[in-house]
Amino acid sequence: MQLRTDLQTREEQAAYLAEALAGLFEGAAQPSPIRGGRRAALRRLRAFNVQHYARTRNDVVQRGVSLLSPYIRHGVLTLAEVRDSILSRFGHTPDTEKFVNELAWRAFWQLVYAHLGDRIHQDIEPAKYRTRVPRRLLPPEVMSATTGLVCIDESLRELYTTGYMHNHARMWVAAYLQHWLGVDWREGADLFYRHLLDGDPASNSLSWQWVGSTFSHKPYIFNRQNVERFSAGTYCARCPLAHNGSCPFDDSYENLAWRLFGVSLAELEGRR
Amino acid sequence: MNGVIVWLHGDSLSPTDPALLANPGAPAIFIFDEPFLAAAQLSFKRLFFLYECALEAIAGRNGSIRRGVVVDEVRAFAAEHQASTVHVTDSVAPRFQQYVAELQTTGLQVVIHHPPTFVSWRGEPPRRFSAFWRRVAEEALRPGSTGPELPSEEVE
Repeated sequence: MQLRTDLQTREEQAAYLAEALAGLFEGAAQPSPIRGGRRAALRRLRAFNVQHYARTRNDVVQRGVSLLSPYIRHGVLTLAEVRDSILSRFGHTPDTEKFVNELAWRAFWQLVYAHLGDRIHQDIEPAKYRTRVPRRLLPPEVMSATTGLVCIDESLRELYTTGYMHNHARMWVAAYLQHWLGVDWREGADLFYRHLLDGDPASNSLSWQWVGSTFSHKPYIFNRQNVERFSAGTYCARCPLAHNGSCPFDDSYENLAWRLFGVSLAELEGRR
Repeated sequence: MNGVIVWLHGDSLSPTDPALLANPGAPAIFIFDEPFLAAAQLSFKRLFFLYECALEAIAGRNGSIRRGVVVDEVRAFAAEHQASTVHVTDSVAPRFQQYVAELQTTGLQVVIHHPPTFVSWRGEPPRRFSAFWRRVAEEALRPGSTGPELPSEEVE
């Protein structure tokens, strides 16, 4: 079936595509505010200021990140182009070198994918530690972004409405689903893959395995202090669970290691 | 039957796709992979993003965007243009390798182009990024050009 290529406005294109691709997608026929195409990619590249990247990239509010991942994932920009542009405009600084280091993660995931193929969708290594929480299916409150945890719900809502989630928030959500809720990483990875504009089999599945410790030395966990620090306190300030003592993340890493995995933090981190 | 077509896929969906650049006058096709998408049920946002990328990639040339079975659509498009050769840019995805193999069994010649390398790496990668980075950092931090020409602010 041939699709039309002559429609001019985004609204016309979206209405048309929803009909043309009926049966091939899930949910509402709403485009992301993030535009596809090379022109949009180059505008985004031009707008990205890498200064302070090393300090601000993990902050989900300040967002010193490039937002180039959807374009890189689909080959609209290559890693080499992005690297060259950033280094030629900003020179060699700790910020540009950290940024190139982050670009290299994608190159690494792609090499692993080239080597393992579809085996990336299975546990690559045995989990170093598994959560003590019983295994369960993806709960409906995750699908509807109504867990009651502001840090998780806001991240999920952004994913569902825009197709984007900040990398640090992805780590929080992936750890929450796996270690706190007992959801299999493949279910979480599938949810992200369906929504992320930069959804890539390798980057996505391997990152979930990195959080779960089937492709890393230890499970990734976080606590409330981490959320507070990297969201300028904004999520916790608005979160009812943060004020009534029922935040599941409000604990020390030592206690979380015991609660979630039944081992000391030193054991969890492979130091003992 | 000595014409050439370009097959664009979701891992290289740009007007600067190497297979496109190598064949400036060739017809080009992008296909929404019906069996895959019917099973995957991605969000509409993802499909619309691909559509916008594809529209721009084929703009100004004899291009086509289709919904269907990828190998069947590429073959049909090649036949429409009396083409015996399909140019395409490489992907590490197993599904891509499978489609290339299927196209070759139908008698089409497939020419695979390669995107510019970020780092040259041969063989099995290490299991940890830190080991990978230690070995590629020097090359990764060496620019190969000044990067693409960026639009001026007035363009917007």
